[in-house]
Amino acid sequence: MAIDNSFIDLESLRITTDTPVGFELTGVKKKALIQLMGSRLWGRFNPNHWDPVYAAETGLDAPIQTGEMSTAYIAEMCVNHIGAAFFRNARMECKYIASILANEVIVTGGVVSNKTPKGNGMRFTLDVWADNVDGERKTVGTVEVDIDV
Amino acid sequence: MSDSATNDRSPKTDDLRPMTEVQMAQERAFIKSLEEECQTYWDMVEVGDELSRVLDLTPELVILYADAVEDFNPWFEGWKMNTWRIEGTSPFGGAIVPPLLVSHFVLSVQFDHTKPFAIGSIHTYHNTELIEPIPVGTQVRITTKAIDKYEKRGRRYVRHEVLVTDENNGTLYIREVRDILSL
Repeated sequence: MAIDNSFIDLESLRITTDTPVGFELTGVKKKALIQLMGSRLWGRFNPNHWDPVYAAETGLDAPIQTGEMSTAYIAEMCVNHIGAAFFRNARMECKYIASILANEVIVTGGVVSNKTPKGNGMRFTLDVWADNVDGERKTVGTVEVDIDV
Repeated sequence: MSDSATNDRSPKTDDLRPMTEVQMAQERAFIKSLEEECQTYWDMVEVGDELSRVLDLTPELVILYADAVEDFNPWFEGWKMNTWRIEGTSPFGGAIVPPLLVSHFVLSVQFDHTKPFAIGSIHTYHNTELIEPIPVGTQVRITTKAIDKYEKRGRRYVRHEVLVTDENNGTLYIREVRDILSL
């Protein structure tokens, strides 16, 4: 049996001042697992996030994730690409435009949409999103970060 | 007989995960326990309402948050199996809190936790400024203020502004604007 030794040099993911507008981020992929959606720290307080019967009674096709879970997925992608710069003088804006249903597989994405000189570095703007694997957009947003400012 | 083994196609408690009859009964009992008189968020909030709570960002809390979104970045680890609490490492020294963790807890402040939970509320939007990294172990104060109630395309929204500060030294970590869609 062949062992898969392929890997990405994680440091190569980092956005630098030389990163061009149009650069596409590599996202993260997650499954909306009912056990995680209903964990105490996340959706347990509201059965719409984990109980099929309650969700149906309130008109939902299935339990839905809390929006903050897709925010967390997008933030994970941003930390992978931006590193420490994402934690200081950064901004993240998200709109939850469609519900994420239990068992959907979600993929995040992003693209550098603008960069402007700031101090010794650049202020980057990124368009970010979370889609299901059929391409239905669930969450859209923008991120702004200082790189080497 | 399993709930899902019945013939009708209405949703069942065990549709999405395997459960015994005991587990299903426990779930139904828990859901019944959540039933309480409540009002809509729109009616619950007046513009100008301000609420504030203190949250201890313990290593265990951070792990619970990160595990449920399967984010295993070592920068967030102030707790490790067998060793338990550790200093951790990140570009800022010790372990830090995931960037949007505290934003997740704002809901527990802007919804007055001493009152019944407002039914039919959906978080739809946030605009979050991440000003400084938050070390794991920090005690933060989350303050929310209702700044607007508005209607858009027949839907009702309540807007809040949020400040997250260090309870001990006053450092401003996060500033946020967020919307809740109300029935």
